[in-house]
Amino acid sequence: MTRALLILLLTAWLAGCATPAPSQPRELQLAAPPETTLREAVQLLMERGYVIRHADGDLGRLDAVLARMPGYGVSLRLSPGDEGGSRVEAIATRGGRALPPGLLDPLLTDLQARLGLLP
Amino acid sequence: MRRWLLWLLPGVLAGCQMTPTTLPVAEPAPSAECRWPAGPGDDLPRVITALEAEGFVVRQTDASLGLVSADRARTTIYHDNGIERLPGIGGFLSGGSGGRLGAGVMLGLGGVGPGIDEATRAERVSVVVDERALRVTRDIRLIDWRGDLRESRSASDADFCRDLRRAIRAVPAGEAS
Repeated sequence: MTRALLILLLTAWLAGCATPAPSQPRELQLAAPPETTLREAVQLLMERGYVIRHADGDLGRLDAVLARMPGYGVSLRLSPGDEGGSRVEAIATRGGRALPPGLLDPLLTDLQARLGLLP
Repeated sequence: MRRWLLWLLPGVLAGCQMTPTTLPVAEPAPSAECRWPAGPGDDLPRVITALEAEGFVVRQTDASLGLVSADRARTTIYHDNGIERLPGIGGFLSGGSGGRLGAGVMLGLGGVGPGIDEATRAERVSVVVDERALRVTRDIRLIDWRGDLRESRSASDADFCRDLRRAIRAVPAGEAS
């Protein structure tokens, strides 16, 4: 009996440690061109202490890291959107694993504010 | 049912599923010294020249964004303060004969030292420059001789940024390569 309970408990523990399904990137349409959006995103992330490891205005890519254990990262992919705007895909990671996309909302809201897109 | 197991379960599950509720920012925040108004002649080539003079290796640049990312690695001494140098404890059991069983435990102390190892101190820095201002961020990671990450922290501090600003200013404008 005790052994069966122990096995059940062990199973529960392992289930708790199971790798969650990879999160989808947060997607956003902005009424600002990709170049401007990327420029403001660089400023915004550096303001928060992130080190930019790679950014390319032509490709619309930005990868930034924050050296807090176990290591955080933010990646943005920008492409031309409707009517001269841009389409943004954002993903945040912790220790190489994707974080829930909702965590990026405050950052993206601040990005829109910097771009003057909020009322 | 052992009650302690029930107490342990939520703790273990909570540990496994720990996810931050907000996207973290650097603590402490980058120093105010890490952003300063651009002066005459402050451009990306000048910043790159200054970083290289400070021993950084440029990893990536983007001229349209005015951005440079660079690394610098140095060998340093790592003090683990004895945390990983607990005395070794060994044990043994010996069998007996003639209906007697003898058991013994031997304790051995070893590995007690000053707790100093060689390590690599890796700095990563990004600088963005435009016509209005320059902004710098930096972090430092300490990697021990086994390749394990020992420390990882943001280091956009006033001393570093002041030194870098001085180094950039020391590069003659228009002569940067």
